[in-house]
Amino acid sequence: MKKRFISAIILSVSAVMLLSSCGTKVASNQNVKASKVSSIGDQYIKATDPSKSPDKAKQRTDTFVAAISEPGGVFLPYFYDNGWDGNATDPIFASLVGQDPKGNPIPDLAKSWNISSDNLTYTYHLRQGLKFSDGSPLTADDVAFTLTILDDPAYSGYLDISTSFIKGSEAYKDGKADSIEGIKVVDPLTIKITTEKVNPLNLTILGGQVLSKAYYGKDYKRGSLDYLKALYATPLGAGPYKIDKYIPGQEVRYTANDNYYAGKPKIENLIYKVTSKDTNLQLFQTGETDEDGFTTDKDTVDELESFGFANVRISTVSDYGYIYFNNKKSYLKDKSVRQALIYGLDRQKIIDVKYKGYGQVANIPTSPLVWSYNEDGINKYKFDQSKAKKLLDAAGWKVGSDGIREKNGQKLRLSYLTTKSTDEIIPIAKEDYKAIGVDFEPEIMDFNTLVGKLNKGDYDLASVRTNGLVDPNDSVEEFSSKKTSENVSGYSDPVADKLISEGVSTVDIKKRKVIYQKLYKELTDNPPVILIDYRKSVKAWNSRIKGLDNNNFSGVSSTNLSKLKIEN
Amino acid sequence: MKKYILRRFIHMIPTLIGVSVIIFYLFALMPGDYIDSNRQITAQRAHDLRVLYGLDKPIIMRYFIWVKNAMEGNFGFSLKYLESVTKLINQYIWNSFIIAIVTLALTWSIALVIGVYTATKQHSLFDRLVTLGVFASLSFPSFFLGLLMIKFFGVDLKILPLGGMIDTGSTSTGLSYVLEVIRHMILPVGILTFLSIGSLTRYFRSGMIDALKLDFIRTARAKGLKERTIVFKHALKNAILPAITLLAFELPGLFSGAIITEQIFNWPGIGRLQLEALSFRDYPVLMTFTMLLSFLTIMGNFFADVLYAVADPRIRLK
Repeated sequence: MKKRFISAIILSVSAVMLLSSCGTKVASNQNVKASKVSSIGDQYIKATDPSKSPDKAKQRTDTFVAAISEPGGVFLPYFYDNGWDGNATDPIFASLVGQDPKGNPIPDLAKSWNISSDNLTYTYHLRQGLKFSDGSPLTADDVAFTLTILDDPAYSGYLDISTSFIKGSEAYKDGKADSIEGIKVVDPLTIKITTEKVNPLNLTILGGQVLSKAYYGKDYKRGSLDYLKALYATPLGAGPYKIDKYIPGQEVRYTANDNYYAGKPKIENLIYKVTSKDTNLQLFQTGETDEDGFTTDKDTVDELESFGFANVRISTVSDYGYIYFNNKKSYLKDKSVRQALIYGLDRQKIIDVKYKGYGQVANIPTSPLVWSYNEDGINKYKFDQSKAKKLLDAAGWKVGSDGIREKNGQKLRLSYLTTKSTDEIIPIAKEDYKAIGVDFEPEIMDFNTLVGKLNKGDYDLASVRTNGLVDPNDSVEEFSSKKTSENVSGYSDPVADKLISEGVSTVDIKKRKVIYQKLYKELTDNPPVILIDYRKSVKAWNSRIKGLDNNNFSGVSSTNLSKLKIEN
Repeated sequence: MKKYILRRFIHMIPTLIGVSVIIFYLFALMPGDYIDSNRQITAQRAHDLRVLYGLDKPIIMRYFIWVKNAMEGNFGFSLKYLESVTKLINQYIWNSFIIAIVTLALTWSIALVIGVYTATKQHSLFDRLVTLGVFASLSFPSFFLGLLMIKFFGVDLKILPLGGMIDTGSTSTGLSYVLEVIRHMILPVGILTFLSIGSLTRYFRSGMIDALKLDFIRTARAKGLKERTIVFKHALKNAILPAITLLAFELPGLFSGAIITEQIFNWPGIGRLQLEALSFRDYPVLMTFTMLLSFLTIMGNFFADVLYAVADPRIRLK
């Protein structure tokens, strides 16, 4: 009796295990069905009941707790390697030129500036009585020092100042001159910088965050920047806050800077608290944090709304996802093949599955937040499998006996590199491309390996995402065949090359808009990549923090940080 | 005895060397290096950086440079954090250590008591309930339990903190700081203890049951000794012997950090540093940390051998 009972259990358990493994096999072959999902626009949901603010938050009458993910402790602009250190450093270091909520330049440390008629000479006029947080004066000498150190041969940070073409910077780097000819300190409040080539971004590049010469330049000798490492953890700047304490992996604490030029910030203490996606909603709910960015889905938005005390902003992120074509491969050189691959991919379905309404298809190689974004005359490449098939037939790729197209004995087999094992593109592309006779082979690997393969040209398709985009040139630069190191995809189009260099040869925005309009048309007709998606972000903050607008251009660290107030 | 210890100690050295060679080569052979992770820099800059960091030299040379530096106590500079590896690891490893050692102490004491008790009262109701609890502990994934407890104790009941090592903006020092950290440790230690207790309890239980079946126990009972003396003095000493080896092998675990638990509780431990260093190919950190764990494992093995010889006279006399 007992034996039979036990064997019955064993049988049923193994049956369950068999069935469940069968289940997963079926799922991967199933057609991915996406219901009609409507796209969600940008939204601003105001707090309905600020009195519901949690007690823990209400008790903090003089402290604003913002959220950060992984600061690394390198609190020095131009030298940190980790984007989060940028967030942590912004409240401490002010720039000559700041940004308004739309990304336009406004005066910060510089009260005004002049640009010569040939757009090559920039003169910044500093405000009177500027001081660093320790009371030492901030003058044009500090600006000159900052720009000089960026041209030091040992500088290995993220800012490539050579794109500004400051006169005399090459001579300084090579050791032929002891200072940079083009940087001239006219008087303690005026600095004049002469460049040799027009760059529309120079106003903000040259007018960036200012480092103290007395503090950071004390032991400076050309060619040796190691001494700065000792100063990473103890920054000195002229921003609204100065650093109080850094607790690795936990918090970065700041106190208001009495010497801030626009007046001491009304909120005495600022804390950047380390949070993770697992618990950031709970931390916000219980008042441990006053703001954060959350998972972009309906459940989270509904929950944030239900709190009552939260202002919620759903806005588009200034980046886009895309798939590289390896334009050096012979079978991808033909533009009709590339066009066919875009027509043959149901990108709307990918967006629906991946973002469930919180994303949209990208058709222009820039983000909707950049001023050059313009959909006039752009081919949207609506999903059309018959058109894709026609293009491939016309290009000489005939369907073989196994269903895969071939030409001159070569099969149209494309490898696809991605870092996500749950990449939504994989099942959809495999199905769509099979229908038009293209063999799609996904390969999943970690990021560094993918970049290594990308640089070696060992791929056909590769899935990537741009960084945050501010200027139209940011994203199209890599399509110029003249920029050999950025151009990983091997794309070469003389019309595009000409338009890309024209785009940065003038400062006039109206002229640039026209140039980029033409460029986008060309890049759509001869596509270097498959554009995939724009996505939304969900940010929320406790309405007790007045004056904060947490959108994707100006977050917590914006130029108006010192103007925020707490009203419990 | 001394010869035995000396022999075991000398055996450690070639093992250490061999391990360091293998680890170094495996990491060096991984495709993609740290410079690759930055897509923005020009090819010239990438080359210059590689020369700067010594990544362009052949692997053998890089290994000996590393060994020479390690002998001097210089374990290199983290490529990502731009500070010395020893300083970086030191900042985080002790946070993981305090969680691990408290968990270890609690797990072992509780598992010992429960294991012994259920062995003496085999097949009783208590034993069956404990078995159920053990299987529960072995089945729950740590993140699920962690998030559930955070919601229950942190959000609903509001009696325990939601994570981190200290309260937000806390400036407490001395005793109040210690108490605050302890308060924050309750949930992560509790969860880790619950999850580890299962297998250890079963281990002690079966060890005790086997010991209680031995002949000399029957003799002791026949002699009329108290049951308590039999269990705790005679049987337990024999049952614990294999556990000594287990304890010694816990040594590397004290310093390796519980990656998932640390992530959920925002505990600034070494687990996250490890993962990051791996995905960013931060070689100096990876090498140093892996060597540290290997060294601790080898040391643990050595201690296990020595302790076993101390505890069990039969080994000593061999």
